Amino acid sequence: MIAECVVAGERLMLLPQKAMYWPARATLFVADFHLGKAAAFRKAGIPMPSGTTTDNVERLAAAVKATGAKRIVFLGDFLHAKASKAAPTEARFGAWREEHAQLELVLVRGNHDRHAGDPCQEWRMQCLDEGAPFGPFIANHHPQPAQGGYVLSGHIHPAVALTDGGGTMRLPCFWFAKRVGVLPAFGAFTGTATVRPREGDQVFVIADGEVIGLN
Amino acid sequence: MLQRLESWFADNGWQAFAFQREVWAAYLAGESGLVHSATGSGKTLAAWLGPLAEWMAEQDGSGKAAAPPLRVLWLTPMRALAGDTVFSMKRAVDGLGLPWTVGIRTGDTPAAERTKQDRKLPSALVTTPESLSLLLSRPDARDRLCELRLVVVDEWHELLGNKRGVQAELCLARLRKWNPRLRTWGLSATLGNTEEALDRLVPELGVRPLIPSGAQAPIGISGLTPNSRIVKGVSDKKVIMDTLIPPDVDRFPWAGHLGLAMLEPVIEAIESATSTLVFTNVRSQAETWYQALLEARPEWAGIIGLHHGSLDADVRRFVEQGLKDGRMKAVVATSSLDLGVDFSPVDRVLQIGSPKGVARLLQRAGRSGHAPGQASRITCVPSHALEFVEAAAARRAALAGRIESRTPVERPLDLLTQHLVTIAVGEGFEEEEMKAEVRTARAYRDLTQAEWDWALDFITRGGEALKAYPDYQKVERDETARYRVLKAPIARQHRMSIGTIVSDASVDVRYLRGKRLGNVEESFIGRLSKGNAFYFAGHLLEFIRMENMTAYVKPGKPGSAVVPRWDGGRCPLSSEVSEGIRELLELHADGRDDEPEMRAVSRLLRLQNTWSRIPRRREMLVEQTQTREGHHIFFFPFEGRQVHLGLSALLAHRLSRVRPASFSLSFNDYGFELVSGERFDLLPLFRAGLFTSDNLLEDMIASLNAAELSKRQFREIARVAGLVFQGFPGQPKTHRQVQATAGLIYEVFARWDPKNPLLGQAEREVLERQLEFSRLTEGLRRMAASPVVLRRTEKPSPFAFPIMVSRFREKLTSEKLADRVRRMQVEFDAATGVEVEEEPGVQLGLL
Repeated sequence: MIAECVVAGERLMLLPQKAMYWPARATLFVADFHLGKAAAFRKAGIPMPSGTTTDNVERLAAAVKATGAKRIVFLGDFLHAKASKAAPTEARFGAWREEHAQLELVLVRGNHDRHAGDPCQEWRMQCLDEGAPFGPFIANHHPQPAQGGYVLSGHIHPAVALTDGGGTMRLPCFWFAKRVGVLPAFGAFTGTATVRPREGDQVFVIADGEVIGLN
Repeated sequence: MLQRLESWFADNGWQAFAFQREVWAAYLAGESGLVHSATGSGKTLAAWLGPLAEWMAEQDGSGKAAAPPLRVLWLTPMRALAGDTVFSMKRAVDGLGLPWTVGIRTGDTPAAERTKQDRKLPSALVTTPESLSLLLSRPDARDRLCELRLVVVDEWHELLGNKRGVQAELCLARLRKWNPRLRTWGLSATLGNTEEALDRLVPELGVRPLIPSGAQAPIGISGLTPNSRIVKGVSDKKVIMDTLIPPDVDRFPWAGHLGLAMLEPVIEAIESATSTLVFTNVRSQAETWYQALLEARPEWAGIIGLHHGSLDADVRRFVEQGLKDGRMKAVVATSSLDLGVDFSPVDRVLQIGSPKGVARLLQRAGRSGHAPGQASRITCVPSHALEFVEAAAARRAALAGRIESRTPVERPLDLLTQHLVTIAVGEGFEEEEMKAEVRTARAYRDLTQAEWDWALDFITRGGEALKAYPDYQKVERDETARYRVLKAPIARQHRMSIGTIVSDASVDVRYLRGKRLGNVEESFIGRLSKGNAFYFAGHLLEFIRMENMTAYVKPGKPGSAVVPRWDGGRCPLSSEVSEGIRELLELHADGRDDEPEMRAVSRLLRLQNTWSRIPRRREMLVEQTQTREGHHIFFFPFEGRQVHLGLSALLAHRLSRVRPASFSLSFNDYGFELVSGERFDLLPLFRAGLFTSDNLLEDMIASLNAAELSKRQFREIARVAGLVFQGFPGQPKTHRQVQATAGLIYEVFARWDPKNPLLGQAEREVLERQLEFSRLTEGLRRMAASPVVLRRTEKPSPFAFPIMVSRFREKLTSEKLADRVRRMQVEFDAATGVEVEEEPGVQLGLL
């Protein structure tokens, strides 16, 4: 189930796939994709099961299909590490790219991308530095307020702690503060950091395939 | 040769105990064994002098002999013990005029000393299981260890019940293969299952290789299969066990407080003794008591000390030395002082809070009264009312000789993979040979072919699922088909990860001007802001900043300060003490008890009896009550916290199948409660078999998933199997990209490799280790067989109240997640800051 909200005067759709859709510009925002993270672990001698990349591309395909997006903006940390440029991982994403050849792909570089380097040419991704304007929004990786627009970002993999007397549960979330919005980490192999939003912030958690507003 | 030992004893004015003579003779006859004797009774010399006598017999007397190459390995569970052990070993070597060298090798050994040892190992080496594994990861290990005659495992009971013990077993299996005549002696005090302890150390090996005829057998070895024995040492040491009973016991809290109400009686007790050890169960309690004592008696500054595992080694050594010299009037300590070290001047031990177990009570008591003819004396200082009952129950069990067993770990696969990589880093292995060797370790006797295959796959290909990933590299096969680690970075990484001890990410605490005080859990420091005051290492400190895994502090100003809360160290009530409590309550209810502790709490027990009932041994007391929180159901099996955690999840799961509901669970050592929004009519449910043992395992596992326990248990497994690395200061940045929390790795495995045996192991460990499944099964059986006494109370009874306010809470629900979320509250905060779930440094490094 999709949730909707209005940020900087624009209607946004929050998807259970952990992506955000901006209908006015047919643009899908995705933060912290971390492609090839499991591959980097394997290269370092840490056995990780396969399936995370498949899950990433399938979820991405589902989000595109559900929204009819014409463009995807990756809000940083698209590639996990240099060691992530492994043949099977690249083949998987490359195949997805071929199936979605018409899509415009934009990457706003994050800290991991700076170490990993830009993705391979064949994927035709436009690579930008932080601060790229998209209408009233500014696309960033780091959640830092900027002049001239509402910042959309990732980086911290936000989750919130929910309590009900007996226990505490941590769920990944979309978090819209006054001047900065943070998307949940999209990657299948990513952790979360618990944040404490301020009163008045809009927070939406993802639970059981649903996006649920907490306000 | 034994003559020379006897005369050395005589020169020192000592006389050898019969058990020491027995061990020497048995060793010389080629036997292995276990010495079971009280602390401070001379176990070290029992094990140490045999190999010296053996060596003397081998000398032909011509010329001056040189120090022999490594002959004796001495495994100790704690680095702190190593120094004392080496001291008494050296004393014997010097006294007998032998050229033997004795050295230490632990994580604390300075690099220069290591380098010296790398050139030549001493004749006897005192080390830990972890450091022994590290020795085995050297390609030349076999050459260095081929003259080994004896491995002594000191304080074997401390290793027996955990994976460190299995690590020792695996190392021993290898050493035995290299030296078929190797003898193994375990030293242990206070243990219930000595037979099993011996079997773990010296397993039946089936056919052992005979010594080839013609080969020169050392003195006494018959050339037949060596056998083993248990040698019982000194056990008639007098122990006085009592309890501090304050005059105004009626005003005592019902539930867990820090017990400072007992401050004055404790001070009086310290004043009346020469030197006192004050034991607490957790570190935060030690800090609190130390502060309280200093505030009450400022003149004690400098003659009372604090000792716990988080303090800097120098601080700890200073305090230990002070105890030995008799300079210390009192030291507040945790289990860090439980073992070995001999503090002769100490004549009294105080135990703050319940000892929880009989072995612990006796072990701690044994820290006092080392002087000849002196009795050990331990006095329990209850911190709430029911701990009076615990103290009396523990004493009764101790007097009756009912001591806890330590249950060994069965074939942990995480450790198997670690050990295989360790050997692959060293000289490498051939598959069939290695499999046979591993199976001679008692813990892996029943290892299946499938488990072996999986372990080998896991370290070579990364597991079945990864066949398509050529990039995976860890253990490879060299040109001779031996399994080896060929990449230097992998070998280095592995060497740094050897071991099974999992510690929380911890940060150094250091003054701005440089002196290091110790370390605390990162999660504690994470909650502090600049300017906050806290107590640590007995000082009031002000937090300044966090930098590079170091928390910088300066002396704090008096005011409100917090005490760091360390997790761990909380052990549940043992079954021996549980049974003692049930027995005492029944005796009291029938008016047949005569323990002073029971008289002290008789008013409270009377209240319990008036409001509800004092349960008899063969009775299951259940109370129902209603508060603002909801409908409470209390159960009182008295089986210890861990079992209650399991039982509460199980019963909540079964109840929620009757009717969908959410439960909040909480528990302590005496019982547990289920709280829900609705009232359950229990009598028909009891009749329908709420306590049945049918489908127990399935129900248990189903309820566990809800409680997420396996995920937590996976932390240790992920660390041992090399899936996560403990961060270390100054690590290269590239490492951060391959770090993830164990929780995250668990989720990835659970979703994409659900059949991975490591997940199964996590589940099994939760059952066996955390929930004490066999004890739980027994408890449930007892509940089902006992008549239920159901009482509805107006308000929570004296037994129920402590459970209600317990801070151990779990949640179990059969509600749809999304529905539950809609009802839940988010924690908003005035200040926006990132608060991280676990291992913050590591996690932030990932972002």
